[in-house]
Amino acid sequence: MADQGLTVEEASAARSAAEFSRAARRDQLVRFGKGLAAYLVLAVFAVIAVGPFVYLLSPSFRKSFELFSYPPEWIPHSFYTGNFGTILNETSYLRWGLNTLIFATSVTVITLAIDTLAGYAFARLRFPGRTLLFALVLSTLMIPTAVLIAPLYIMISHLPDWTHSGVNTYPGMIVPMVCSPLGVFMMRQFISTLPEALVEAARLDGASEWQVFRKIVLPLMKPAIVVLGIFTFMFQWVNFLWPLVITTTDDMKTLTVGIASLQGQFVTDWGVISAAAVMTMVPVVIIFLIFQRWFVQASMAGALKQ
Amino acid sequence: MASVTTEGLWDELTLSEAEYRRAGARYRQRRSFRAYLFVLPYFLPFLVFLVIPAFWSVWLSFNQGGILDSAKYVGLDNWRAISSDTELTGAIKNTAVYVIEAILLVFTLALVLALLLNRYRTGSNFFKLALYVPLLAPAVLVGLIWQFMTNFDFGFINLALDGVGLKRLNILGNGTYALLTIVLAEVWRGLGFWTLYFLASLQNIPEELLDAARVDGARGLQRFRRITVPLLRPMLLFAVVIAIIANFQVFDTVYVLTQGGPHESTSTLVWFIWQRMFQFQETGQAYAAAVLLLVIILVLTAISFWLLGARRRREA
Repeated sequence: MADQGLTVEEASAARSAAEFSRAARRDQLVRFGKGLAAYLVLAVFAVIAVGPFVYLLSPSFRKSFELFSYPPEWIPHSFYTGNFGTILNETSYLRWGLNTLIFATSVTVITLAIDTLAGYAFARLRFPGRTLLFALVLSTLMIPTAVLIAPLYIMISHLPDWTHSGVNTYPGMIVPMVCSPLGVFMMRQFISTLPEALVEAARLDGASEWQVFRKIVLPLMKPAIVVLGIFTFMFQWVNFLWPLVITTTDDMKTLTVGIASLQGQFVTDWGVISAAAVMTMVPVVIIFLIFQRWFVQASMAGALKQ
Repeated sequence: MASVTTEGLWDELTLSEAEYRRAGARYRQRRSFRAYLFVLPYFLPFLVFLVIPAFWSVWLSFNQGGILDSAKYVGLDNWRAISSDTELTGAIKNTAVYVIEAILLVFTLALVLALLLNRYRTGSNFFKLALYVPLLAPAVLVGLIWQFMTNFDFGFINLALDGVGLKRLNILGNGTYALLTIVLAEVWRGLGFWTLYFLASLQNIPEELLDAARVDGARGLQRFRRITVPLLRPMLLFAVVIAIIANFQVFDTVYVLTQGGPHESTSTLVWFIWQRMFQFQETGQAYAAAVLLLVIILVLTAISFWLLGARRRREA
């Protein structure tokens, strides 16, 4: 601004070469400092995020009383694996893991099937009441689980024995969890982005609605299906309230309910509890690292589908 | 010759108006029927396991009885009972404090981290993955981890306090600290999700807009306030609504960390409902509180839409 009155030659003459390089260096320094601060902040939060899990590794390989030693030992001097033995022998840990797997996988598979069908209908088919029904689905997004669990529990526990789907059964756990409103919403949004012409062309060629869905739409939906699949699976994998209510026997508990019950069983035995935590987290982190791209996309889906 | 045949054929193919309408109606009917077949597999469980239980809960809030014995109509008794229940007002207060603290904290941190990750792309993938890890743990496990971290004798926080020469704290034995621990545990778990969410939202903002502003001489903070924030508004609305719905239902960490204690100072709405329902067998009151929770969520969602959506409508 101050240079405005001067010609280009005059301005460059006024600003000596030394001054110029000093300014440039200062600029560079500021930028470097900003970058350093930014990465420092990111690193601190990365450590905060991962740190507690790493922190748990140490007590899981130690006898519990060693935790009280002072000054604290961060690295176990003996490698004690008894905590893992206790978990495997004295609890139904593996059974809980299997239950979780069956529960979360089944809910995911059923959800994907019915949500893609409904999503397709809401995005591409015409029928009376379409807007109204979709609004109904969306409005149930706001219903808290706490409102539903007791009526669901009553329903499930009154099912006659011959259905084999009462309390403490897989169907009784799985089926009430399959109707997530978010899934239908996500699928509808995704299908709406697919080119309509594709569907029209197939229809003109004489394809039935089912053929259009099965042969044209479904193959294009693979990314959305993976994202909703991970989303649903993760949601059920951490689900606590419903399994807590609907399972009463030890061998039907899911991991979340089982882990919570460890607290009562091994009150102060933090070696055992951290061993359980390590056993729970290691497989999930491995799966996460393999499919990281999809996991990250799953949590961004909400933002991208606006 | 040829033209005569065509005309005859045309006559045969042409439908009278009534016929045409009937065929059209038949086609539409068949089309709707097929569409209903597509939505039926979803709507059957949706009605049975979502819509009916929701209305049933409302009805049961006017009844009394255990979970498994038959319900008896008692009018407004449950509502009267909970309206003068200090435990419920306490739980609502705790939940409100928790929700406000948790959302403000997690959104601020997530927005800062997202802005940094958006600006400094080198190595950002590593940070994204690291921030995501707590999300893989069930809230129950997160509760246990934080119980371990806050342990008086060997928890990291107390060891650190000891290390810098401060007095150790009985963190979960103190109401204020206990609630704060629940806030921090949930923020810790949710930070990765919201960071990625805001990052995705930021990357949706067209680069040209920011470049144009830069050329026009807008400084960093100005660009953020005048371009980034207004464009983030719809994303923010969705985020606020989702966060309110999710956070008002906080339960798992309470169950593991404090069981509502000490002295009900960390009792939240869902904890209150769960306790009345399955521990005290006061199911009618539990239903009334559950319906109240639903109403609170509905009202807050409406307010969020009104506050964050209003500007958008005016601009459009």
